[in-house]
Amino acid sequence: MAILIDKNTRVLVQGITGNVGSFQTRIMRDYGTNIVAGVTPGKGNTTVDSIPIYDFVEEAVGDRPVDAVISFVPARFAKDAALEVCSYGIRFLVMTAEGIPEQDVLSVLRYAGITGTTVLGPDTPGLISPGKCKLGVHPHTLFSEGRVGIVSKSGSLSYEVGRVLTRKGIGQSTVVGIGGGPIWGLSQETVLEMFEEDPETRVVVLLGEVGGRLEHDAADFIRRNMETPVIALIVGRTAPEGARMGHAGAIIEGAEGTAGSKIEALKEAGAMIARSSLEIAEMIKEMGEL
Amino acid sequence: MRLLEFQAKRIFSKNGIAVPKSMLITSPEDIQNILLPSVLKAQIPVGGRGKAGAIRKVETTSEAESVVAELLGSTVKGFPVQALLAEEPVEVKRELYLSYLADKQANRPLLMASLSGGVDIEEVAKTSPQRIIKKYIDPLLGLKDYTVRSLAKALEIDDFPSFNRLVGKILTLSQGLDATLVEINPLAETREGLVALDAKMLLDDQASYRHNAFFGKMQLEQKKLDKRAKSRPVEMAEKRNISYVPLEGDIGLIADGAGTGMLTLDMIHDAGGRPANFCEMGGMANDEIMQRTMEVILADERVKVLLISLIGGLTRMDEMAKGIVRYLQTNESYVPIVIRMCGTKSEVGLAMLKGVGLDAYEDLAATVQTAVKKAKEL
Repeated sequence: MAILIDKNTRVLVQGITGNVGSFQTRIMRDYGTNIVAGVTPGKGNTTVDSIPIYDFVEEAVGDRPVDAVISFVPARFAKDAALEVCSYGIRFLVMTAEGIPEQDVLSVLRYAGITGTTVLGPDTPGLISPGKCKLGVHPHTLFSEGRVGIVSKSGSLSYEVGRVLTRKGIGQSTVVGIGGGPIWGLSQETVLEMFEEDPETRVVVLLGEVGGRLEHDAADFIRRNMETPVIALIVGRTAPEGARMGHAGAIIEGAEGTAGSKIEALKEAGAMIARSSLEIAEMIKEMGEL
Repeated sequence: MRLLEFQAKRIFSKNGIAVPKSMLITSPEDIQNILLPSVLKAQIPVGGRGKAGAIRKVETTSEAESVVAELLGSTVKGFPVQALLAEEPVEVKRELYLSYLADKQANRPLLMASLSGGVDIEEVAKTSPQRIIKKYIDPLLGLKDYTVRSLAKALEIDDFPSFNRLVGKILTLSQGLDATLVEINPLAETREGLVALDAKMLLDDQASYRHNAFFGKMQLEQKKLDKRAKSRPVEMAEKRNISYVPLEGDIGLIADGAGTGMLTLDMIHDAGGRPANFCEMGGMANDEIMQRTMEVILADERVKVLLISLIGGLTRMDEMAKGIVRYLQTNESYVPIVIRMCGTKSEVGLAMLKGVGLDAYEDLAATVQTAVKKAKEL
């Protein structure tokens, strides 16, 4: 079992004919993701690698059932595309676009709340359940099937940790990137909860960064609700205050945003604190057979 | 982008939100036309100006002259003061607080109000949170009457129609301009009605494409006032839209992701090295962005070693390698370059690097060790 997706998840790719969309679709399908349809307005009635393309989500879901959508629609059209997905009651939407205006994200998340659509992202690499399904842009050769759940703010950091774990013979159950922006849908806490309930996940790795108070909320959740051991790595320990460290959300503003305060909160909540990806692997090795 | 007070107030005024009469002073000669008495306010993008002595009331011309001479060109809270807003003093009955913002905890637009206006609202939130009233707005439904009525009640507003208009205007303004924060603190109740004594506005940089001309104008205006000397790489990075944070050390850093970029930064420190910068290209980087980013980082003369930390998901390593190779071919001399490369299409990228005699590591720790060692040797 994995969280959110599995081998049977029927996937629609929005923005399937663009450069990134078509390239990543091919990789996902080769990995074994069950891609059943694509949507690009104006490209209906064609195919990409024999995947049928529709002009509208409505037409696609009229033809075949869809469980999840991954959207490669660029930021300025992403709101409309996401609302379209929600309108047809699709339960899971992954939004990869970076730089969507905050107002647009707020509207999408509100509407998704009403239609019951879980939104991962925006500005997310998506998620991968190694060996089962990949609904994202993760470099899959760096990951392997196993029992460690990873939830990360940053895509690249989850690749790095996945790579080191895999090298050390430690596989992953599901790797989820929640998104680098200041606003996102599926929360770190919800992913932690899913891992806690997932019988296959025996250890959870939480990858965080400076800025905001996300990890403080996660720490509260860990203290109250988690029995599964949690290892946390917070990057940006040496970042200067006030500077935007790449992600729109990664700015230290006030005491709560510093790596130090987050590390303290997580430590108090019972999480183990790692300083590098290698240390995470060593900590898991010490736990013995998972 | 954070607007300066005078910019935000100009927008308020244009949109029918009352502000005090004012003029902008950018040189000592400007005070010839000053209205007296006047409140002189340093135009810097930071709070707590009053306590820092950057808001001063002047009664006479000579007072005005001496305050202008003292403040213009001085540095307050790290910001050089290049402009002062001279405002007509307002007779205040009560000072309130009112703001609109995108609440990142609840993922909802939020109206915040308080009877405790004119003080640091974050302090109020900490010491007496019950004094802050929060009303969420449904972005799909917009502002509802009952929301405004309950705010008016909490703020003990007598003149509901004008308060209602004010809140409506704030909402229209934030949505129309993609402002993620519109804050009026204090909002003064005067005999003439509600007046915004201060104004803070944050514009959503991600939405700049919807307001190209307007955002551009605001930016240019700020640039003209910002006389801080900028290093060459900072200027180049700004022009090229590259995320760049200058630091104190000698190891140049380029990463293709914010998370691994920060991890690399921490690891350089842990290994006893000193990064010269933080730089992240973003998920959609291609060969051209790689090449241009190298130009920025290597324009920094302090850089002794360049560390490139790449782990591709969306970024393709074949394109990254192409950018690196092109930089090497178009530049004659450069510092030692230590590369970490793995992820999407890395087999192609590594082969391309090998073709020009460049080795790349897969392991980040080894990459960092090598870069730190090289920087120490040089």
